[in-house]
Amino acid sequence: MKKIIMFLLFAGSVSAQNFTVEKVSGDVKYQNGNSENWSVLQEGSRVNDNAIIITADNSFVELEGNNVQFKLNESSAVSVSNIKKMNIDDLLLALAMEDMMNAPKDIKKSSDNTAVYGTEEGQDNPLLIKTDDFGIKRLNGAIQLAQNDLQESAVIAARETYRKYPETKAISSYRIYFADILYKKGLYEEALDEYLDIQKLDLTESQQSDVVLKTESIQMKMLGE
Amino acid sequence: MRLLVLTIIIIVINNGNILSQSSFGFNGYEGLSPNFNTPLYSYESNTSNYSHLEDWGLSLIYGVEFSEVTNSNIYSISLAKTLNRHNLSARYTPGYQKEFIFNTGEAIIIEDTSAQSLTASFTYKELFGLGYSYNFSEQFNVGTSFRFFTQDFNQEIVTPVFEDTLFLIIETQNEKINFWKADIGVNYIVNEYLNFSVASINLLNFGEKAENSDFEQFEIKRELSAMIGLSVMPLNSLAFNFIYETTNSYQLSVNGYRDELGLGLTLFHDKYQSPTIAGMIPTISYKGENFELFLSGVKYFSDRKKEFGVSGFLENGITNIINNEYSFDKILLTVSFNINTIGKKTVEFIDVQVVKDIYPTFADNYIDYPFAYAVIVNLTDEYVTVKPMARIEGVNEENIQSPISSIAPFDTVKVPFYIIVPESYLSNKTILSYADFYLFTLGNQPDDQFQKAVLINSINSWDGRVSNLLYFIKKDLEFSINYSKGVLSDNKTLLDTLHNDLVEFYKAKILFEEFIKHLTYISDPRATGEYVQFPDQTIELKGGDCDDLSVCYSSLLESVGIQTALVDYKSNGDLRHVNVLFNTKLIPEQARIITNNDTKYFVRESIDGKDEVWLPVEVTSLTNFETAWNLGSEKFNKEAINDLGIAKGKVAIIDIY
Repeated sequence: MKKIIMFLLFAGSVSAQNFTVEKVSGDVKYQNGNSENWSVLQEGSRVNDNAIIITADNSFVELEGNNVQFKLNESSAVSVSNIKKMNIDDLLLALAMEDMMNAPKDIKKSSDNTAVYGTEEGQDNPLLIKTDDFGIKRLNGAIQLAQNDLQESAVIAARETYRKYPETKAISSYRIYFADILYKKGLYEEALDEYLDIQKLDLTESQQSDVVLKTESIQMKMLGE
Repeated sequence: MRLLVLTIIIIVINNGNILSQSSFGFNGYEGLSPNFNTPLYSYESNTSNYSHLEDWGLSLIYGVEFSEVTNSNIYSISLAKTLNRHNLSARYTPGYQKEFIFNTGEAIIIEDTSAQSLTASFTYKELFGLGYSYNFSEQFNVGTSFRFFTQDFNQEIVTPVFEDTLFLIIETQNEKINFWKADIGVNYIVNEYLNFSVASINLLNFGEKAENSDFEQFEIKRELSAMIGLSVMPLNSLAFNFIYETTNSYQLSVNGYRDELGLGLTLFHDKYQSPTIAGMIPTISYKGENFELFLSGVKYFSDRKKEFGVSGFLENGITNIINNEYSFDKILLTVSFNINTIGKKTVEFIDVQVVKDIYPTFADNYIDYPFAYAVIVNLTDEYVTVKPMARIEGVNEENIQSPISSIAPFDTVKVPFYIIVPESYLSNKTILSYADFYLFTLGNQPDDQFQKAVLINSINSWDGRVSNLLYFIKKDLEFSINYSKGVLSDNKTLLDTLHNDLVEFYKAKILFEEFIKHLTYISDPRATGEYVQFPDQTIELKGGDCDDLSVCYSSLLESVGIQTALVDYKSNGDLRHVNVLFNTKLIPEQARIITNNDTKYFVRESIDGKDEVWLPVEVTSLTNFETAWNLGSEKFNKEAINDLGIAKGKVAIIDIY
């Protein structure tokens, strides 16, 4: 028998990642849990894994916890939950999860569904707000995860950023950086998808040749298999 | 009608010995006759009424008797019917009779001085019979037969009349005596090569007795005895049969079969006839698709056209109405029809397994997935196309057809059975019903049927699979539409002022705030079964547990065109939880309009490849929309995303449409 019970929503997680703020320089803020506001991060305080930390220009913060020491440099943002060691298997699961999150492609419309999806047309122009650099800060934070030997977490953080901040997908240097991580990790299929997508962007000559070279290299490796 | 005149002057009635019919039959003895049904219409050798018929059978014996004058006659007309394991039969036997006419030995002198002899006539008839058998198994059959006899005795006598002078007048004494006799028989088929039969002779007799002592001694004797039959088939095409009566009569026969043809020869010994083998019955038979033809002859080895002395009759009497010392050679043609209104059984069930209890609300589920499987076998040497059908008592008024299957000769296959639960089924009680399963090949009658118990749950029952909650969301969407429209109409002013892109988000928020106003979280009161309320019940009852509340909220959103999904958290083993995701229709670039915290929303790619912002809502948080959203996103972030719950199968997103 399966029971559905009300989940204890306020219960703390026993595996929560708690970090201690070792050093703060400049303007460093954090957003805790579901808060809509940012608070100043103080040295010696503790942050848990549902927090996001953001640094302004010429600012940085050093964290320590769970046997990890992590420095977040200027103009960066990171979710504390991403500051963790992961293995290749976890990375593959996370990448697979992206598709699983999507609406099913074989969705079957039921004839008795009277609901009409979509919005009325012709009423308003699309509502857009001015984009800020938060997405780029997220990518900067992801790069620093990689630089702190947390490459798998870095890729996951970057992919999440690309979904939530689609405009960042057009920045080829970041894309190539994270694709290279997949390449170096031997995740050739995933890397190839990325390189093929990157080739559609505006690339410099050196980026172009680098991406093409790596694409061909992967294709050769895959043919060799 | 055969007429035998014994030209005997004096009759002394003291030793009549007529036994009612024993094992002799006009088509010889064929034991249980594996290839033909015709010999089995004979109650004489088949007292147990054993039959191969699948449905109706009709048989007629027409014959010619070679007495001094050739006579032709319909000897019998039989009708039989098989009903499952029962077989019933009836027989009318107008030709089963024998008439004796005697001179009594007395005479009177009439006026012209000539003498007038007095006569007597005795007529014995078997008129009709009834048979019944029950086939306990393929090996064991028990049956009985009842037969009706009549005896008509007429005798002229001289009666003096005293008036002025003495007159002698001739009067006729007449008496008609009827009786029934009943016997039972048992058949045991050891295997296809060997079978036995045992039957009584004259087990029960009931009827009238002669009142006239002159006739009493001429009544048919009903001596209790028995018969034992044995058939051996050393080859499929060859059978040897033997039947022995405890009165020391017996029959021996050999039968050969090839394709539709049969040949047989029966030799019979009758204690009351000579020589030892009194005669033979050769037969030639043919079996068509629906009929059988038997041409048979009865040939006696003693001279039947000589004049008999009365002393022989007085000493031995006769032993059988249709087979006695005074019977004549015959040729008989038997035509039998096997009328099969139920069709030949070409497939049959081996077993049926019901794999799902019925949850009436999951109606569509039973169209897509079978509720039962049957193992069936093709009994023929040809491909058979089978139309499986099923019907659940209390749910369906008509049979529901499942996909047609083609089965190779003698092959065994597993076939699925689907069912339709009509929308009109609204029982709120769980009942134990039964399902009838049918296999149709040709015609309107099923080749085979099977019955199995099925549990039909109430319309509120749920099997615990979150994916099946969508049926509760979809059913009675009419209520949700009316409710949601009412709530949104009350907030028309606000909605009209919003940018179109934000309408979905605010509709969801307004509906949540209104929906939870009077609700209370109530855990499922049923300790053993899963019970889910429909949206109208949740609103009416003002409460529910997480699945009731999620179903209700999802239904309200869907009713106004907001896409939803249920999130199934099954990470804690048996303890599960469900809440709701809904589609704001905002693109990721617009997410910052509704929140400054990018962990509170999730991007899902639509069927069209468009990225859209979805929000998780913890419906059991009956406070306000913001809190429910916060709690929903916190849980989703932790269990679905950070712990890789979706990839590890511990969290599932179930889209409603």
